[in-house]
Amino acid sequence: MASVIEVRHLTHVYMPNSPFEAKALDDVSLTVNEGEFIGIIGHTGSGKSTLVSHLNALEKSEPGTVFVKGTDLGDKDTKLTDVRREVGLVFQYPEYQLFEETVEKDIAFGPTNLKLDEKEIKHRVRAAMELVGLDESLRDASPFNLSGGQKRRVAIAGVLAMNPSILILDEPAAGLDPAGRRGMLELIKGIHQSGVTVVMVSHSMDDVGKYCDRLYVLAHGKIALSGMPAEVFLHGAELQSMGLDVPECAKLAAALRARGFDVPEDAYRRADVAAAILKHFGKGGDAQ
Amino acid sequence: MMNVTIGQYFPGDSFLYRLDPRTKLILTLALIILVFISKTFTGFALVFLFVLWCAFSTKIGLKYMLKGLKPLFLIIALTFVLNLLLMKDGAELVHWGILRITEGGLRTAVFMAVRLILLVLTSQVLTLTTSPIALTDGLETLMRPLSRIGFPAHEISMMMSIALRFIPTLMEETEKIRRAQMARGADFESGNLLQRAKAMVPLLVPLFVSAFRRADELAMAMEARCYRGGEGRTKLKQLQFHRQDAVAAAAVVAMYAIMIALNALGVF
Repeated sequence: MASVIEVRHLTHVYMPNSPFEAKALDDVSLTVNEGEFIGIIGHTGSGKSTLVSHLNALEKSEPGTVFVKGTDLGDKDTKLTDVRREVGLVFQYPEYQLFEETVEKDIAFGPTNLKLDEKEIKHRVRAAMELVGLDESLRDASPFNLSGGQKRRVAIAGVLAMNPSILILDEPAAGLDPAGRRGMLELIKGIHQSGVTVVMVSHSMDDVGKYCDRLYVLAHGKIALSGMPAEVFLHGAELQSMGLDVPECAKLAAALRARGFDVPEDAYRRADVAAAILKHFGKGGDAQ
Repeated sequence: MMNVTIGQYFPGDSFLYRLDPRTKLILTLALIILVFISKTFTGFALVFLFVLWCAFSTKIGLKYMLKGLKPLFLIIALTFVLNLLLMKDGAELVHWGILRITEGGLRTAVFMAVRLILLVLTSQVLTLTTSPIALTDGLETLMRPLSRIGFPAHEISMMMSIALRFIPTLMEETEKIRRAQMARGADFESGNLLQRAKAMVPLLVPLFVSAFRRADELAMAMEARCYRGGEGRTKLKQLQFHRQDAVAAAAVVAMYAIMIALNALGVF
C-alpha cells in the first residue's frame, strides 16, 4: 500500500515567545495509506484540529514534516491549491460555512474556485449531492432553510465536489441526534467505499471502533497509542486516564477475559463479542 | 489575525491592578489632558517618565507594550513628517530646495509625536491592567449621574461589555470560516481591490449569520435570567475607593502642579 499522507516529527507551537505560548503538537508522526479509513481520537484540546489543519496546508509546517502524496507541504514552491484539491477538509460544524443563495451554488463554490468549466461543475454538484444523499429537488433551496443534518450534508458535498482523493473530517457527527449520527457515519462509510481515503477525527470510541481500519490516539499533542482498533482498545486503563473511553463491547470483552473466559483479544465489535459468548455457551459452558 | 493583543487585558497583580476602575479611568483621562497642556520638553519628559514607571510597575514587560505601538507607527511617523515640513515658525534650521525646516516646526513635530505615543501608552496601561468587566462597571458608575437627564448609562455600558466580550469570539469565528473557505479553494490574498472585496462575501455572510444567531441566543439567555435593564439592578461587586486610590490621585495632582509651574516658567 502506498502512503498518501506522511507526517514526520511535527511540532506546532501557538504564539511562540509570547505569554500565551502553547504547544499544540509535540513530535507527531503518522502515516495514512491509500484507501484506508483512519481514526484520530483525542480529548478536547489534544491537538486534533491543529493536526488536520496541517494536513491541508492551512497551518504552515516546517519543511520535511508533512507530505501529501510525496509533496512536501513545508516547501515554499508547493502550490497550496494543488494540495487542497487533493485533500478535502471538512471542519467541525461545517454547516456554519454555508453562504450562498442556493444549495447548488454553495456546493459549486469549491469547483468554481478550481476554475472548472460550467458543465463539469454542474456534473460534480449533482454527483456530490447524490453521494451525500441530498434530493435533487433541494438544488434551488436556500441552504439556510434546511435542517441541521441537511446543512451538514450540503457542506460535505461542497468539499466532495472538489473531487479530493483524501477526505478529512473533523468530528463529522458532533451535535447530531443518534439517528443523524448513524446516518452521517454510514454516509462517510459510503464515501470511503467509493474509493476515497478517509481520515476521521472523533472523540467517540464507538464510532471509530465501528468504522476505522487504524487508529491514532492523541493526548496532550502527542501520539499516545496507535494501531488496529483491537490493539488500541486493549489499553482500556490508559485510555481512561486520557479522558477517553473504550467501546461498551470492548469493555465487556475485557471484563470477561479478566474473569478467565475465552474471548479473543481482537473482539471489540458487538458481533464478535456476541459470537464469543455464544460459542462459550454452545460448548455447554458451566458458568451460568 | 489571532495575534492581536493590543490593549487586551493581561491578568496580573500589582498596585495599578488593585486600583478602583473609576480611579483609573479618571486618572487616565487626566494624564491624557496633561499631555496636551504641556508646552515644554521638561513637561513631556516628566509625563513620559511617569507613564513609563506606571508601565514598569505592571510587570507586563515593556516589549509587549511597545508591540501595541507598532500599528500606529505609520500615523505617528506621518504626523511627524507633516508637522516638520509644513509648520513655518521661528528660526530656519535647514533649507534644502523647497524644503524648509524651522525651529518651530521641529518643536511641534516632536511634540505631536510624543503626544501620540503617550496617548497610546497611557490608554494601554489602562486596558492592560483593567478587565473589560471592571472597565465597563467603572464607566457605568461614572456615567450614572447622567442617567437623570435620560442618558442610558446602564444600557451603554452593557452594550460595551457585550461587544468587548464578543470580540475574541468573533475573531475566532472569522478565522474558522476563513480556513473552511480556504479549504474549499477560496483565495483571500490575491487579485485587485474589487476581486478581493468579492472574495470577502463567503467570509462575511456566515460571519453575520453566526453573529445574529449568537445575539439571539444571548438575548434569550439574558431574558431567561430575568434581565430587564438597569432599573433596580444590584451588583455583586460594589466598587469602593481605598487608600491606594487617594495615593494615585495625589500623584496625578502633583503632576498637574509641576506641569503648570513648568509652563508658567517657560522652561525649555
